[in-house]
Amino acid sequence: MKNLKIQTVALTLLIVAGNLFSLNAQDATSILKKMDNVMYSPKDMVDKNKIILVDKAGKQESREATIQQKGIDKRMFRFTAPASQAGISVLSLPDNIMYLYLPAFGKERRIATSAKNQNFAGTDFSYDDMEAKSFAEKFTPKLLKTENDVFVLELTPKLGSDYSKVVLTVNKVNYYPESMEYYDKGNTKIKVAKYTFKKIGNYWNAQEIEMTDLKKNHKTKMQMSDVKYDTGLTDDDFTVRKLKQ
Amino acid sequence: MNKLAEAIIKFKWFIIIAVLGLTAVFGYQLKNIKINSDIISSLPDDDPAAALYKNIGTQFGGNDMGMIVLETDNIFKTDVLQHIKQITDSLKITQGISTVTSLTNVIDIKNADGGIEIGKLVDEYNLPDTKQGLDSLKAYLFSKEMYKGTVVSADGTATLIMFTFLHDCDKQAVAKDVKNKVASLNLPEKLYFGGLPMMMNDISDLIMADIIWLLPIVFLLIAIVLLISFRSVKGVVLPLLVAGISVIWTLGIMVLAGYELTMISNEIPIILLAVGSAYTIHVINRINQTFHNNRRKAIIQALSYIALPVFLAAVTTAIGFISFIFGSYLTIIRDFGLFTSIGVAISFILSITFVPAIVSVFSVYKNKNEKDLTSARESKLTRYVLQPLVNLLFKHPKYIMEFWSVLILLSIGGMFFIKTSVNMADYFKKDNATRVSEGIMQKKFGGSLPVFVSFKGDIQSPQVLKMMIKTEDYMKKFPAISTTQSVADLVIEMNGVMGEGKLIPNEKAKIEQLWFLLDGQDIMSQLVTENLDQGIIQSKFASVDSKSMEDFDKYMNDFVAQNSTDKCKIEVTGMPTVYNQLNKSLLKSQVSSLILAISLVLVIVGLMLRSFSKGVYATIPIIATIAVLFGFMGVFGIPLDIATVLVASIALGIGIDYSIHVITHFNHALKEKGDIDLALEDTILISGKAVIINVISVSAGFLVLLFSQIVPLQNFGLLVTISMFGSGFGSLTLLPVILILDSRRKKNSSKIIK
Repeated sequence: MKNLKIQTVALTLLIVAGNLFSLNAQDATSILKKMDNVMYSPKDMVDKNKIILVDKAGKQESREATIQQKGIDKRMFRFTAPASQAGISVLSLPDNIMYLYLPAFGKERRIATSAKNQNFAGTDFSYDDMEAKSFAEKFTPKLLKTENDVFVLELTPKLGSDYSKVVLTVNKVNYYPESMEYYDKGNTKIKVAKYTFKKIGNYWNAQEIEMTDLKKNHKTKMQMSDVKYDTGLTDDDFTVRKLKQ
Repeated sequence: MNKLAEAIIKFKWFIIIAVLGLTAVFGYQLKNIKINSDIISSLPDDDPAAALYKNIGTQFGGNDMGMIVLETDNIFKTDVLQHIKQITDSLKITQGISTVTSLTNVIDIKNADGGIEIGKLVDEYNLPDTKQGLDSLKAYLFSKEMYKGTVVSADGTATLIMFTFLHDCDKQAVAKDVKNKVASLNLPEKLYFGGLPMMMNDISDLIMADIIWLLPIVFLLIAIVLLISFRSVKGVVLPLLVAGISVIWTLGIMVLAGYELTMISNEIPIILLAVGSAYTIHVINRINQTFHNNRRKAIIQALSYIALPVFLAAVTTAIGFISFIFGSYLTIIRDFGLFTSIGVAISFILSITFVPAIVSVFSVYKNKNEKDLTSARESKLTRYVLQPLVNLLFKHPKYIMEFWSVLILLSIGGMFFIKTSVNMADYFKKDNATRVSEGIMQKKFGGSLPVFVSFKGDIQSPQVLKMMIKTEDYMKKFPAISTTQSVADLVIEMNGVMGEGKLIPNEKAKIEQLWFLLDGQDIMSQLVTENLDQGIIQSKFASVDSKSMEDFDKYMNDFVAQNSTDKCKIEVTGMPTVYNQLNKSLLKSQVSSLILAISLVLVIVGLMLRSFSKGVYATIPIIATIAVLFGFMGVFGIPLDIATVLVASIALGIGIDYSIHVITHFNHALKEKGDIDLALEDTILISGKAVIINVISVSAGFLVLLFSQIVPLQNFGLLVTISMFGSGFGSLTLLPVILILDSRRKKNSSKIIK
């Protein structure tokens, strides 16, 4: 455990040091990879998640869940509020496989979804947005410009997607994403994600992600709290058996 | 009256400047004129079914739905799928479109062991291109009830692309954009557009086309009729100028009051041109016929004589329109009645103020001598029409009575065949794209008339959901209903996914958790309210037959009466219900507006002639005409619809003027000449001419409506023309005969008394 921490600290230092030397000579691909590193560097993470849905009239509705995440592609959502949905759990595994557990039924169901443009559980995030893949895997980047504090990248999806491009701004110093603008195939901006990052321990944590659907004028805020990193979760924590507990 | 006339002449410059100024003000408003083709918004709020329909359309987005039907010989071909994808993609990126559902992007849920697979019916990035792939798609699609007959027609030759408009977008502009974009794809398949926003866009275009094309023609035709009748520039320019100004004022007031042009009120300019010019003609005529060496005094004298008759003519005409304000089902008809009567009032005011002011400022008044008048009497009209008519009247009054009696009897028989038509598709010409689309929708996809059943209560309770299912089962037993959809169906589907069978769970807790799977899906907002206190069943009605709609209404009302409770309040609405109400209301509003108009006219005419019996005599020709009108509609199959329901009262309002003319002239002449025969001859030769000119000029205006793009307006034009001829002819044949017989009777009775 201790070993692990030292490793990650070293890695972070390396990245920060790397910045100093190659600030001007960076190509888009390495910027994106660095961002992936910042976002996905913890081995695992446990936190409390509050999902706030805001409709165009400003009316809010919220759900709460605890989240366990290991690596990039294993995730366990356990809903705690509202009361009617408390206990509902979703386990998402690689290759778009999900298991859903509904306590009122006392059983789980496997859900395989290939319809990636569908929104996840009433939020403004599509399965595509939530897909457990690194950005470098999903997109081909191009550096549009460098501004005071940020790099602006244009990302083109590698595989079939409803998006024509995503315009990403990456913090120049710390390499976390600040915003993503999603464009449809008619080159109209349809969604905007805003990120608020805060350093917790050794890692940069996305304290809040606010996704706005510009067409529907509907917003989803995901707020994270009580974040713990590298708690030593194993693959055993991401099984159907665990889902039902 | 004299004082008023003097004041008008005294303030002539003020009047002219004020009129021109106001015309500029109102004319400036016209740039803000908007077209409202949304017939749904015209449904009355005081009818529960209509109010519920409007409410559901807004709340559940049903009024924001558009459809494209793509028709070809076989949908299951790679290039056809490619084209469907092209349309889908193009719609998806159209501003103002929220969601698109088509064969190439519809979600497919398959049951697999221990779970489900959520995917696409067709992989849009890898369309099937082998015979095998296409065949298996076809077989799979037709095996699922949710696709067959909804996404692809049962015969496999047509597919439906559904899209929703964002609620607050400019739907007409978006609809136009959709049409243009799809047209620019240049696809070989046949494409049809449907759904309310698309239809509204079409109606707006038709309304515009009518105004742009028909109004100038009406203007020109009336000008020609006036020129032939009066053979003077003044006789043409002044009536048209006054009518034109009245149109501008009326539309300007409409805009200022926040009203929009509808498929009924676009007739207002045409009606005002036809009707409004008449008052000016009377005023000019009178001025021309007044002899005085002082021009100013001549005008004053003429004005004080003519103001009252013109006022009464305007009042009776306005009554015809005012009768629509009370007892009409559709608000567009009430508004039409209101603004047309305002327009008539404006025409009247202008004709007795602005016209004499203009005449006195510009020297358009010339001294006439007796010779001019006599020559006027001896026109061709007099020689070939009026003189023979006079002869006939005196020789064979009984023949004329018999002729009218037979005609009226036949008409009463014809009345029993009158049909009503409320189906909106019938309002378009047979080759109109919207009407063709409706036909295709009907044939291939079970119609496009929405039906909604609303449930108020706790939507997540098992009782309410079970009641929804019970209602759907009951609905599907009705022949014109093929598919239904509700949130209860989705709950059943998800309960199946959880492996508990396709039924509504008995525990509310289970339903609440199944909801987790449904939350946020686009379809949910079309089926339940956000706070879960109201849900609807959506369905389509596959018939336009009004009997079938009436039956369905009753069928559903029986169910509601037995099953609606406080905890689950059931209400039915939808186009069949609304059409049924509209249908019932057409007859009701026809009767009530007609009774109102006849009694008001009777009172006014009676007061004016200071004799109740004369009032009755004056209304007889027009009542006979209305009888003939309804007979004609019955015999020739012209239905009573939102436009033709207006004809009778309008005909009454305009047509009564002819009788009033004839009777006043006759009274006047009788006093002067003391002999019935001479008085009648004088009346027919002089007033008869005026009546005939008026009939022709008004009819010319209305006949132009035959070229309207909207079928009810075509019928309206034809029927008003028939009524004008009928009431004109009636006032020159039936009325004189009645007067002859009446005075002979009086003579006889007075002889007996003596």
